Amino acid sequence: MNKRITPISRQDVANNIFEEKIGNRSGSSNGLESKKGAGKMKNWMISILCGMVLVWNLMACGRQQPQTPVVSSFLTYSHSMELHYAREFSVDYYEGGYALITLADSERYLLVPEDKAVPEDLETDITVLQQPLKNLYLAASAAMDMFVALDALPRIRFSSLKAEGWYIREAREAMEAGTILYAGKYAAPDYEKILEENCGLAVENTMIYHTPQVKEQLERFGIPVLVDYSSYEKEPLGRTEWVRLYGLLTGREAQAEMLFAAEQAVFESVKGDDSTGKKVAFFYITNNGEIHVRTPSDYLPKMIELAGGCYVFQNSEEESSSSTMMLQWEEFYAAAKDADCLIYNSTVDGELNSVDELLAKSGLLKNFKAVQEGNVFCTSRKLYQSTMSLGTITHDLHEILAGREGNLTYFYKLE
Amino acid sequence: MSEEFFFYTKGLTVGYGGVPLIKDIEIRIRRGEILTLIGPNGSGKTTILRSLIRQLKPLTGVVYLDGKNMAIQSGRELARNLSIVLTDRVRPERMTCCEVVETGRYPYTGRLGRLSAEDRRIVQEAMELVHVTELAGEDFTRISDGQRQRVMLARALSQEPELIVLDEPTSFLDIRHKLEFLSLLQELSRKRNLSVILSLHELELAERVSDKLVCIQKDRIDRLGTPEEIFVSGYIQQLYQIHTGVEKTCGGTPELPSVKGIPEVFVLAGNGRGTPVYRRLQRQGIPFVTGILWENDQDYPVARQLAVEVVAEPAFYRIRESSVARAKELMTGCREIICALKPELGGELYPELKELWEYGRQLGKT
Amino acid sequence: MKRISYEAVFLLLIFLLAGLLTANLCVGSVNIPLREVLSLLKEKGENTVHRDILFVIRFPRALAAAILGGALALSGYLMQTFFHNPIAGPFILGISSGAKLFVALTMVVSLEMLRQPGAGLLIGAAFVGAMLSMVFIILMSGILDRMSMLIVSGVMIGYICSAVTDFVVAFADDADIVNLHNWSKGSFSGTDWEQVAVIAIVVLTVSAGVFLLSKPIQAYQLGENYARNLGVNIRWLRVALVVFSSLLSACVTAFAGPVSFVGIAVPQLVKYLLGTTRSMVMIPACFLGGAVFCLFCDLLARMLLAPTELSISTVTAVFGAPVVLVMMVQRRRDV
Repeated sequence: MNKRITPISRQDVANNIFEEKIGNRSGSSNGLESKKGAGKMKNWMISILCGMVLVWNLMACGRQQPQTPVVSSFLTYSHSMELHYAREFSVDYYEGGYALITLADSERYLLVPEDKAVPEDLETDITVLQQPLKNLYLAASAAMDMFVALDALPRIRFSSLKAEGWYIREAREAMEAGTILYAGKYAAPDYEKILEENCGLAVENTMIYHTPQVKEQLERFGIPVLVDYSSYEKEPLGRTEWVRLYGLLTGREAQAEMLFAAEQAVFESVKGDDSTGKKVAFFYITNNGEIHVRTPSDYLPKMIELAGGCYVFQNSEEESSSSTMMLQWEEFYAAAKDADCLIYNSTVDGELNSVDELLAKSGLLKNFKAVQEGNVFCTSRKLYQSTMSLGTITHDLHEILAGREGNLTYFYKLE
Repeated sequence: MSEEFFFYTKGLTVGYGGVPLIKDIEIRIRRGEILTLIGPNGSGKTTILRSLIRQLKPLTGVVYLDGKNMAIQSGRELARNLSIVLTDRVRPERMTCCEVVETGRYPYTGRLGRLSAEDRRIVQEAMELVHVTELAGEDFTRISDGQRQRVMLARALSQEPELIVLDEPTSFLDIRHKLEFLSLLQELSRKRNLSVILSLHELELAERVSDKLVCIQKDRIDRLGTPEEIFVSGYIQQLYQIHTGVEKTCGGTPELPSVKGIPEVFVLAGNGRGTPVYRRLQRQGIPFVTGILWENDQDYPVARQLAVEVVAEPAFYRIRESSVARAKELMTGCREIICALKPELGGELYPELKELWEYGRQLGKT
Repeated sequence: MKRISYEAVFLLLIFLLAGLLTANLCVGSVNIPLREVLSLLKEKGENTVHRDILFVIRFPRALAAAILGGALALSGYLMQTFFHNPIAGPFILGISSGAKLFVALTMVVSLEMLRQPGAGLLIGAAFVGAMLSMVFIILMSGILDRMSMLIVSGVMIGYICSAVTDFVVAFADDADIVNLHNWSKGSFSGTDWEQVAVIAIVVLTVSAGVFLLSKPIQAYQLGENYARNLGVNIRWLRVALVVFSSLLSACVTAFAGPVSFVGIAVPQLVKYLLGTTRSMVMIPACFLGGAVFCLFCDLLARMLLAPTELSISTVTAVFGAPVVLVMMVQRRRDV
């Protein structure tokens, strides 16, 4: 996968034109109030910082250096965000309100506070994100729910889904009202529109790596690109923990912490029960008869397990990098024929309306125990966008397993 | 009257896309006859042939085969009466010669095309007739052109037709195979009372093999007749619009244009020995004179075409004094004298000829 | 010129067919030991899951692969004979493009109406699309003089259909695109007995029809003019060849997607084995050869990267393309 990040070149920094860069990076209306006057102030502040760091380094010569990420001689490491479940991102805080965000162990971003300057000797592979981040282009639909929950929806200006594609009420209303504009799919964004309104950040999903030229083009225009790796998280709460990252980006850390704590609590409440021992299969069938299931290390099966179910597709591989895998019919049949409960994943090719539709995909399903006993469910379309409700989803699963099909939000029974 | 004709056309006009190319074609042929179409390139020989074999719809007119209108006969029925050898390049994959000949039995075999013992016998016979039996197991695409043409003829024969139509069957063959093929055709036609229609470019062969000739020029049949009627003085030249080169009348060997000018060489010739010399001099661009030739001598027609002057005597006449004198006069004017009669000089030659040779020796130009 | 006798070749093909059918039944991503397979075949096994796998999943799939493989090879043979061209294949007339277009349309339309297109619907759509392409080709063959121009026509249809498909897909969701892409790869997966029944009826009937045409096809090998003189009705033969070939190709495309190379490589291989192009022998041999080839490739597609499945077209290309190349080289040497 292509994980290049176009940085500010050191040359530019050295040539002291970082002021203009700062103006471009923030891209927001704030940036337009050019910091000409404050420019001198910035220079002065940097000099002080330089001095401080220099002195500190000299003093530290004799001392043993702690293992802290050093990205610039101007930045002093303070502490890291303590992550409970998430593995795909990490945050290191530096003094002065700077934060270094590392995604997937390779992509790095430096979040620079609103009134602060960008360090001159910043390592070249780090992308600078200057606060406040506004007019975001959101092409990672999983993140929308988090923005809504964080009350940070006004930060978003562009969406890669049309209004009818959103199942989150606030998002749809904002698009219908025109506060959020449709700016094209991730693979073909409307560059002109995005540039015109000074987009501050593009939040993309991992599919962007199938079209690297889009990422490069955005970066060439000076729009930083941040890829949402939350779908790679193995733990369900790991996914939810990304709200803390978005909270950091939008300046709503406190809210993020509250939301995360709330979800944690819901999970705890569900976790209490024993396993029901019921076997659950989660899958979808493509139009030419291929079966795709989620790998057992993926977060959805983990949610099923947490809800007390037993995910039927276990394979010998410990850690598979992808979240879905293809199964041959034989294996699928052998594993899922006697499953107590079948859940069809509707996000890829659309919702099913009845069991007959499912059987129309393949008549072989007639023999499955779950079909014969009437325990076939389908995910509702909003499931994948409701990333802040993983707890509720797990609760839904728990209800399904307990045989209470009345009050489901994210699934529905197929008749 | 028409009943004696096995194959004839009435008011036939042929052409492509509604545009008439040749009009009012009246061709008649009896059983066992060979009819040849001749005419310049592009005159429409192939068009006519294609219309005759029902591969091209005639614009008007009818073709009668064995008294029946050919247009209404079924494909199978026609296949039993008419077979063809065309100029199409036949390149079947991995077919033996025997298999190619066997396709000729198609109109006689059943649903799946299996050959009976009788069919096989006929195939064998056809191959024997054209002397290709030893090629039976060979790949059709690997044999020589001459052999291939014969195999196609065998194929046409195994169809047991009453009429065979061939389109320029000898075009790609060397002289030996041309003669072999046509003599074969003639033999078959006589033996089996087979009617043959073919088109040829080689006029000398057409003259020899045909019972009847059809000459096509511009947009009509110019003449229909026997070789004696067609190959008369000047007609072929007119038919083919020959301007460069001169066409020999009886026999059909063409000559290239003669070299004009003051003669430089005298050729003492006769008995056919002069012809190669004349042609060499023509190639070298040297004008020449020749004599003394009797008008029935083999060299005479060629000399007439190529030499600036020929000293000639009517056939069976004594050589006149004036001829000898003229010859000597010409000899004197030339820079070189070639004697083509060297072998004859040693024997009992006409004294006048010997005299000329002595004279030439005297002049020192031999 | 015959290397091996015809009987020997047929015996070999039948033997291979039986062997590969057995292999396809016994081998799979779920391990069922041979003993159990045998007892299941004798109706004595207890394990219902294994029994289902054997009879409901593997058996119909193997049969489908065999029959459709034969259909492809036969269709390819017809096209190669018709065009006197050794690299003509079953999809040269644009059949699969027409099918793909219709499948795309069906997918998009049905999802607009919020209904999932079932397997049966897509099969029907593919068939209809293929048949429409065929009708177009037949009309063209009536207008065109030289049949080699039909290839151009087929290629053009292919392009037009692709363009229209792309246009349709532009209105579709990403999901549709992925689905269409999956469909285009071709697969024998998910075949059930009902489908096998339809496949068998269509393919075997058409193949019998082709066999009955072996005599005119043999005559056709010398060229149209000679065939016409022998009494073959060329116009009807052309139509018949196009219709039969299209029906066979359409069947394959509908049930398994476009599977490449079987139709081009197998007739060449069979021709080489038999040492002749005698149509009465070639037709059944091509069918058997295609069945064998396809069974072999399907086995590999299932087993090489188990539990994932390779696309069948990938495997057929790996084996088929070298065969075609070798044949081309040999042919040049012959000329």
